Amino acid sequence: MTIEQTPLLQMSDINKSFFGVDVLKNVSLDLYAGEVLALLGENGAGKSTLIKILNGDYQKDSGTIFIEGKPVHFTQPRDAEHVGIRMIYQELHYAPDLSVAESLLIGDLPKRLGGIFIDWNKAYEIAREYLNLLSVEIDPRTLMRELTVVQREIIEIVKALSKKARIIVMDEPTAALTPPEVKQLFGIVDNLRKQGVGIIYISHRLDEIFHVAQRVFVLRDGNHVGTKSIDDVTQDNLVEMMVGRTIEDRVVVRQNASDISLGDVALRVKDLTKLGAFENVSLEVHEGEIVGLFGLLGAGHDTLTRCIFGAERANSGVIEVLGQQVKIANPQQGKNASIGFVPIDRKVNGLVLEMSVRKNTTLSNWQKLNKFAFFLQRKEKQHTQGWIDDLGIRMAGGMEVETRFLSGGNQQKVVLARWLEANVKVLVLNEPTWGVDVGARSDIYDQLESLAKQGLAILMVSSDIQEVLSVSHRILTMYDGKINGEFMQMDATEDTLLDVAAGVKHVN
Amino acid sequence: MSTNSTVVTQEQRKGTVNSILQSSLVRELMGLIIMLALIMFVMSQLSDVFFTSRNINNLLLSTSTVGIIAVFTTMLMIGGGLDLSVASTAALAGVVIGALQESLGLPGAVVAGLLTATLVGFVNGFLVTYIGINSLITTLGMLSVARGLAFVFSDALTIPVFDLTGENTEMYARFTSISEGKVPLGFAEAPFPIFFTIILFAVGIYVLRFTTYGRAMYSIGGNEEASRLAGLSVKRYRMMAFTLSGMSAGIAGIFLTSRLYAADPRAAPSVELTVITAVVLGGTSLAGGKGSLLGTLLGVLILSTLLNGLTLQSVSTEYQNIAQGTVLLVAVLIDQIRLGTVNIGLGRLRQFIQRN
Repeated sequence: MTIEQTPLLQMSDINKSFFGVDVLKNVSLDLYAGEVLALLGENGAGKSTLIKILNGDYQKDSGTIFIEGKPVHFTQPRDAEHVGIRMIYQELHYAPDLSVAESLLIGDLPKRLGGIFIDWNKAYEIAREYLNLLSVEIDPRTLMRELTVVQREIIEIVKALSKKARIIVMDEPTAALTPPEVKQLFGIVDNLRKQGVGIIYISHRLDEIFHVAQRVFVLRDGNHVGTKSIDDVTQDNLVEMMVGRTIEDRVVVRQNASDISLGDVALRVKDLTKLGAFENVSLEVHEGEIVGLFGLLGAGHDTLTRCIFGAERANSGVIEVLGQQVKIANPQQGKNASIGFVPIDRKVNGLVLEMSVRKNTTLSNWQKLNKFAFFLQRKEKQHTQGWIDDLGIRMAGGMEVETRFLSGGNQQKVVLARWLEANVKVLVLNEPTWGVDVGARSDIYDQLESLAKQGLAILMVSSDIQEVLSVSHRILTMYDGKINGEFMQMDATEDTLLDVAAGVKHVN
Repeated sequence: MSTNSTVVTQEQRKGTVNSILQSSLVRELMGLIIMLALIMFVMSQLSDVFFTSRNINNLLLSTSTVGIIAVFTTMLMIGGGLDLSVASTAALAGVVIGALQESLGLPGAVVAGLLTATLVGFVNGFLVTYIGINSLITTLGMLSVARGLAFVFSDALTIPVFDLTGENTEMYARFTSISEGKVPLGFAEAPFPIFFTIILFAVGIYVLRFTTYGRAMYSIGGNEEASRLAGLSVKRYRMMAFTLSGMSAGIAGIFLTSRLYAADPRAAPSVELTVITAVVLGGTSLAGGKGSLLGTLLGVLILSTLLNGLTLQSVSTEYQNIAQGTVLLVAVLIDQIRLGTVNIGLGRLRQFIQRN
């Protein structure tokens, strides 16, 4: 890469404050054509504010933005679009019934017969040309709904390129992707880079930064901590830069299985079947054990956890909790059977965001906190305070603050606290650290570990293979609706897990 | 490190201050109180009659029908539901009383009317929660069905509900006293419907605040899926809210019949709109999860004061409808701004103002 050239984008001495609080302090960022710059920082470090300023969503208080050396001024997103800046968001909005070609050319589909009819042949041709630019092999006639998540993201990238984008900002593009899909996406990003586009890449997954970025730019509490070439840093360096302290490596490799003291079987699933998702699945989780369940998208592991708790109804099979057979057809029955469920995406499925920490914490334990339908307020407050102390839930303003004001990690702790308050024996977690930053993540791991020590049986689904490897005592892999592998933590490696989960390799 | 942590707490404090400001009942209600005072002031300037005790009494009496229903509509809407069928149901309850007063006797007929209305609410709830039909569509359908039934049962005629034979004078007098009776309050006497409505609001406020039912409404309306996944019996609570809404329409129907000495299948025309206008005006979100009965009370008072004042000015019903509709639209607009859906437009406006 030639650094002597004029940067494609220069943001210099950007300042921004909200309500007198400085969110960005003299932040300067350079982006060159043909490079991927990873933008790192914990939640609240100012990443999104910086990006929103670049996109024209927010107005900077001071500082200048240069595109190819020329100062520009954005007052709304359209201005940024005009000079070739494009955002690709984590959650894509797409019209499921439009074809790929329509999605790409929307707004200027080629017309014939005086503009009355769409010239479909030409439309497909143009779309194909755009797709070829990045060597994407998707038929432009395919409907958007038929595409996989990664394919939709790729279409979004192609669309950005077709609109003459020169700077593309990608916000957590791999959050919903499986490892093979991530590879596929990186291939496209590489092609994009070769087209001379400058890419700002935001991700919480540090390992992937090394596969995709050339330079890293780190923000902490609104300060620019440093920009480094990717070859000069390690993952630990980056964490330290982001957090401002070293986080000890959590991977505790247990030498043998007897390291963990296992109790009785707390959860036993026998021949559970949900048509179209998984078939005849059997598994056991002991008291005090953390079992990781790993699978690629569509393996059925996600639906399996939902069926164990009752979020969805299984077609057949038996579930036992502490030796007692239980009937679970809805979440209430799951809860009554002493099973707790931490769902994927806490903001959508986990919390009532506009209710307080207190009310969210006690949401699953009304039975013990009311008398004749009236809440026992003092008891409720005491219980909530107990969990705030135990789990180290941090928020300004105490337990009456609405949960939407909490950070991701603390929000997740509230969901966790809810099930501890309900005194469950089995806890099923689905992607417990999605969108949680590094510091809070290791906090949650510690909590899970200590809960297991206290005898809780934990079943955890995660698409983060590092997380599965470091937190679980035992790991199950799922492929095509069946459990196809079982590993003790010490026997598992990233490669074997991936191979088995991808159905490439078989164990047993 | 120490500077870093102060930044965090400041940021968090910012969030807290915002939350207090935003969720603050006081701030939201202040606007309504000022609005009410303003309307009262204007109306009293326009008319000498406005502040007479007779007019205030009338005003409050007309408030009670809407008020009784609004208490339960508020709870339902906080829980994310909607009921358009309340006015028709109230009319149906009245007609059932009128039609059955001879065969069942008056007390039996009143009970039958109340049960009918409750059943209508139950059916609404069943269709919405267990069949999964959208609550707007369900209750829109029920609006027609209930009104239709009221016409069928009454042969489209107004049925007199008073002592025609002279045999049950005492019983009918008691029925009349439901709307005309006074409750001694030591220093003054309150007409029973007003007294009843106030008690209902007071109990409602208590229920919303301190009971599992109230908490369930906020929780389900705030995030239905999260509530379900927390193990809350979302369906049961929602059924209950719809059933209670039907029941409240029945109570309103009894008051109405008592006041009119008759059961009229055309009774309570488009009262459902007045109710919803009042509730939304009072700050209850159409999206659920937010709202208060104090707000609704103010909403009801604002609306009835406005309509009462306009009547005193001999403004015709058509124009009153226009006024009420405008209030509803403004209330919805305010709700949307609170939800942030029209934020962009206002942001632009703000920018525009700043630039000029």
